Amino acid sequence: MSFTKHVNLQTNKYDNSLEPTALDATVVDFDGVVYRISTPTSKNVILFSLSWQCFPELVKWGVHGMLKKEYGPYFSAETENGYNFTLEFNLKVLPEAKEDREELVNKVSLIKRNLLAQPFERAFVQQRQFEDEKQPNPTPDLMQIQYREQEAIYIQAQHDRVTVIFSTLFKEETDRIIGRVFLQEFVDARRHPTIQNAPQVLYSNKEPPLEIRHLPELQSLGDNEEVGYVTFGHPVPSSLYKTRCKRGNHIPNPTLSRLPPLSYKMFKSLHAFENASTCTSFSESLE
Amino acid sequence: MSNTLRSYLTAVRSTLTAALCLTNFPSQVVERHNKPEIEALSSLEVVLNPLTISRNENEQVLIEPSVNSIRISIKIKQADEIERILCHKFTRFMMLRAENFIILRRKPIPGYDISFLITNFHTEAMYKHKIVDFIIQFMEEVDKEISEMKLSLNSRARIVAESYLSQFA
Repeated sequence: MSFTKHVNLQTNKYDNSLEPTALDATVVDFDGVVYRISTPTSKNVILFSLSWQCFPELVKWGVHGMLKKEYGPYFSAETENGYNFTLEFNLKVLPEAKEDREELVNKVSLIKRNLLAQPFERAFVQQRQFEDEKQPNPTPDLMQIQYREQEAIYIQAQHDRVTVIFSTLFKEETDRIIGRVFLQEFVDARRHPTIQNAPQVLYSNKEPPLEIRHLPELQSLGDNEEVGYVTFGHPVPSSLYKTRCKRGNHIPNPTLSRLPPLSYKMFKSLHAFENASTCTSFSESLE
Repeated sequence: MSNTLRSYLTAVRSTLTAALCLTNFPSQVVERHNKPEIEALSSLEVVLNPLTISRNENEQVLIEPSVNSIRISIKIKQADEIERILCHKFTRFMMLRAENFIILRRKPIPGYDISFLITNFHTEAMYKHKIVDFIIQFMEEVDKEISEMKLSLNSRARIVAESYLSQFA
């Protein structure tokens, strides 16, 4: 989400009808995502590349299709070295209207969310097939996304629900204990009468849930105290699903973007931005 | 206040009152030195017998008297991991500001959570019964404080979880 702000600044800049200048910035996001925004050949062509360690897994679940669909005209055939894919924006052929531009910027800033949404969408579709008696039952696969070095998301569609399992790993003991308190509260909070509709939440420490217990890499973890598993079993009522589908690209909770975690690395990249003298008010506008 | 706690605190109070019988005593070994003997341990004949008062294995007070100083170490109740973290943070916070508490020691004695060092200069500058009151009050408050912090941690976690899950409501 923090990324949204960065891209917004770019529109502002062009609204003021400034001349395009050379830029080369690397931006770091959560979960080891690295973006690079650069103009290697011409000042009018901005390359936007992303690297994420779980990208090969996402490709398996059809991320390329989503990229072509959502970012089709900008999807570059050539990928920058060291990155997973590249979008190419030619400033001369960008949409003219301000709203269109803003929409494009918004879309680009949601790229990480869109990538990660792909396996979820797939699971929801499969779950629909289970419910629809006319269609043959699919054989849903357990989709594993190793989105961090030692943490993964597991998604599987079942007859009546979609199960999502997050594995968590806190290295420090204090983090582990406090993490357990907070995650345990998710289980208890659901008893609250107003949030009965929320998906069922389970939390287990050390012991992987049944759905993923057979995985060999988890068995090798053995009795590691640091590992926990959060399971969201999402029973999808068909009415809810339809409304969500209609909405299509549902945007995450707006409060999320208010979280201001700018890491040291991000600040460093901001300075790189300034040195390239592309936008001097960059850090001010972040306030 | 439960009955065992009352008798525990009474025992600590009377022991402290008896032990806080300090006098000015310059070092016998080094000229012009005047150090707390319980810390310096330069002459063993002026160090008295230490005494432990325990309510149970998790709550103990160790009182080490000497001729010109007395060291009091307290083991604070820690029922689970959260209380252990909170207790550690709390005592650390205080010990980092030890000079503001005058009689607080910067480091606890091994096996205890927090230590106080009272010298004859303290008893000369302050009322003895007030010093004893301070220690007893600290022992009363610290348990309360930690369980309060634990509750607020839990309720904070609850609010986080509820506001997250309420998106589905």
